[in-house]
Amino acid sequence: MTIFAVALTYLRGRLVASSFTAFSVALGVALVISTFLLIRGIKDGFIEGTTDYNLIVGAKGSPTQLVLNVVFRIDVAPPNILHTIYEQLQADTRVDLAVPVALGDAYQGFRYVSTTADYFKNVPWRRKTFTFAEGRLFRNDAVEHPAYEAVLGAQVARQIGLNRGDQFYQGEEMAEYPLTVVGILRPTHGPDDRAIFFSLASFWGMNEVARQMTVKPLTAVLVRPKRLSDLPSLHREFNVAPETQAVLPSSVLLNIFNLLSLAEEVLKMILGIVALVVFLYLFVAMYSATLERKREVATMRAIGARRGIILLIVLLESATIALIGGAVGIAGGYGLAYLGAQIVAARGGLAMNPLVFTPLQFVVLAGVVVLGTLAGLIPAILAYRTEVAENLAPLS
Amino acid sequence: MCRWSLILACSVSIALAGLSLPAYGEETPRLTFAQLVDSIRANLEVTQKIKSFAGKEVEIQGFIVPAGLPDLSFFLLSRVSSIGNYCCEAPVGQDETVYVFAASAPRISFDPLKVYKVHGIFEAGVKPDNQYGISLFRIRQARVEEAVGAKIMKVGETTASPTGK
Repeated sequence: MTIFAVALTYLRGRLVASSFTAFSVALGVALVISTFLLIRGIKDGFIEGTTDYNLIVGAKGSPTQLVLNVVFRIDVAPPNILHTIYEQLQADTRVDLAVPVALGDAYQGFRYVSTTADYFKNVPWRRKTFTFAEGRLFRNDAVEHPAYEAVLGAQVARQIGLNRGDQFYQGEEMAEYPLTVVGILRPTHGPDDRAIFFSLASFWGMNEVARQMTVKPLTAVLVRPKRLSDLPSLHREFNVAPETQAVLPSSVLLNIFNLLSLAEEVLKMILGIVALVVFLYLFVAMYSATLERKREVATMRAIGARRGIILLIVLLESATIALIGGAVGIAGGYGLAYLGAQIVAARGGLAMNPLVFTPLQFVVLAGVVVLGTLAGLIPAILAYRTEVAENLAPLS
Repeated sequence: MCRWSLILACSVSIALAGLSLPAYGEETPRLTFAQLVDSIRANLEVTQKIKSFAGKEVEIQGFIVPAGLPDLSFFLLSRVSSIGNYCCEAPVGQDETVYVFAASAPRISFDPLKVYKVHGIFEAGVKPDNQYGISLFRIRQARVEEAVGAKIMKVGETTASPTGK
C-alpha cells in the first residue's frame, strides 16, 4: 500500500468530517475567486461597453449620471438640452461627428434610445460596427410625419421575442403610437444589445411635451472631434456654458474604477480573514483527527512504519483536502461569478463576461495546497512524535 | 612618495569623474509644454530642436485627459487640467497636447487634478491616424507615474535647458 493510498484510506475513514473540511475550503476559495472575477468583469464590462465618442454634451448635473445613462443605460435620464446644442456642435469645424440622442421610457425594461442614422455609421475609429441580423434601419422621417419604426438590439429581440413587423407599446397612453419592428441588430456584446432604437421624430411624436416645443429636446450629444487635441478646448467650452456640461466618458469611468479599487482593497482584507479562518478550520480538523488516530499511528509504527512515513501521510491527507477544496472552490467561484453576471445583466446593468481564465486560478490552487499542507504540519509533527508504547497500552 | 600618491589619487579621481560624465548625459531629457509651444511653426511644422528628440526617450509632465479607453492605454497629456473650468488659461490645441500611447495599461489612480510624469519615446511632426486623428506630438511605449510636487510651465515660461537641469 502506497503512502497516498493510506492517506486516502484515512480520508475515507472520516468521510463526513473530511468532506465538510474540503467544503469549507471550497467555500473560501469560491468567495475569493468569484469576488476577483466579478470585480474584473465589471471593469472589463465598462471598458468593453464604453462609447468610442470622446465627449458627451448634456445638461448640467451629475457627469456620472450622464455617462451611465447615455452610454450604459443604467441610471435615470438626466434633464434635457435643446436641439440647438446639437446644431451648434454639428456646425463646429473641430467636430468630426456629433450624434444626438434622446432617452427616456422603456419597453419591458429595455430602454428607448432615439437617435439618427449617424449613430450606426461605420467609421474607422469605431471598435464595433453595427450589422443587421434582419431588416433595416428606421427611416429618416420628418418631424411632422414620424414613422414610429424601431430597431431592436440583439438581446431585446431574443428576450422579448419580437419579430420584424411586430408592433409594440408600453402603457395605455402610448397605444396611439405603437412602434413597428423594422430591424434587428446582430450582437455587439455591449449596452446597445439591450436598447430599442428609433428616430428622434418618433420620440418627439410620442412625447406630448416635445410635440408642443418649437425647439425640440435631446438628452445628450455624442461628440467625436477631428483632432483629439481639440478635445480639451471643446470640453472647456461646453462646461463653462451656463446650460450644458461636457463629460469625458473615460474620466467618469476611471473615477468609478477608483471607487472600485477602494472596495477591492477592503474586500482583499476581508478575503484575507476568510483565508485565515479556513486555514484554522483545516488545522483544527487535522489536529483532532490526529489526536483520534494516535492508537492507529502507534500500531503502524509498531509494525514497522517509519516516523517520516507517518509525517508524510498526515501532510498528504491535509494537502489532498486542500486540493479537492481548492479545485471545487475554483469551479464554484466561476459558477458564482457567472450567476452574479447574469443577475447584473438581468437587472439592466452591465453586460460582462467574468469567465476569463488567467494564471490566477493556478496561483490560487497552488497557494491553497501549500496553505493546506502547512495547516497539517503541526498535526503531522504530533503524529510523527507519537510514542508506540504509550499509545498501545491497554485502554483500561 | 607622498607626492606620487597624491598624483595617483588625483588621476584616479579625474578618470572616475570622466567615466561618470556620459552616464549623467544619458539621463532622460525633460521636455516642457513651453518648449513645445515655442517650437510650433505656422504650418504646424516643428523646429529642429524639438525634432532632435524624436526617437529618443524623454520625460514630460502634465495633466491626463482620458481621451481613449478607460484603461488609459491611450490618453492626452495636457498642460491644463481637464476639469479646471474656471481657472487657468484655456487649452488651445495641438501645441499643448501630447498623444500618449502607454506600453501597458498604467497602474495609476487617475485624478484629473494631479500632475503625472510620462517617460517614453518621443515623436514630433504631423501624423494622421484613423483611430486618433491628426497629432503633432506623440509619446510611445510610455510609462506613467504621479509627479509629486511637479510644476507645469506656463506658455512663454522657459526652462534653463532641455534636460531640465
